[in-house]
Amino acid sequence: MTQPADATDAFARDVRLYVFGEAANTGRVPQPPEIAAAMGRSQAEVEQAVRQLAAGRVMILAPNDGNIWAANPFCAVPSPFRVEARGKTYWGICIWDALGIAAALGTDAVIQTACGDCSEPMLLEIAAGKLKRSEGIIHFAVPAHHWWDNIGFT
Amino acid sequence: MLIFRAEEHIDRWCETRNIKRGAALTPQQGWQLACGWYKDKLKPEWRRHTLEEVEALLASVGLTGPFWNLRD
Repeated sequence: MTQPADATDAFARDVRLYVFGEAANTGRVPQPPEIAAAMGRSQAEVEQAVRQLAAGRVMILAPNDGNIWAANPFCAVPSPFRVEARGKTYWGICIWDALGIAAALGTDAVIQTACGDCSEPMLLEIAAGKLKRSEGIIHFAVPAHHWWDNIGFT
Repeated sequence: MLIFRAEEHIDRWCETRNIKRGAALTPQQGWQLACGWYKDKLKPEWRRHTLEEVEALLASVGLTGPFWNLRD
């Protein structure tokens, strides 16, 4: 049965809060089967809500299976942008999101990453809301107007 | 968005991939951008930024010019 738009929007909001709450509290981004079980709803309903959220650029889906790739800034899979905070490990899909994890959590964090060119390890540290330690230069390859043309590459 | 050890590493990365060089930020600019973009993401009342809000954020971090233009 099709639900009214208001109900759909309200459920999508609940899914958003659950996904981001879990990601923040555990470092793991839950996927539709787990979300459905936790919220007592069908997987199809959750998948629809997740698609709605992705269409609204609240999160990013994996290209092939409809799983959540990133509830950005939280990446669902390990990446070269590892963030240690609150005694947990998080992953960002890029350096912006790695910094964004510290910003979203509002906590101290250490970002372990590597030079995009030579793969030498690099370290950034956030403490008391400030960038306490940093090195290197961030590069945006894609002009701002085209970020969402291919968000994976961006 | 990647991070590189130095300018020449950006140049080499672009050259190897035949990609036009984009824009470079200091980590401090990246941190300010991340704070403005994500600080409210976990809040129930979070909503997407408007175009004007993103433009203001970019400008506040010193990111201006054609590369950062969000409009057609």
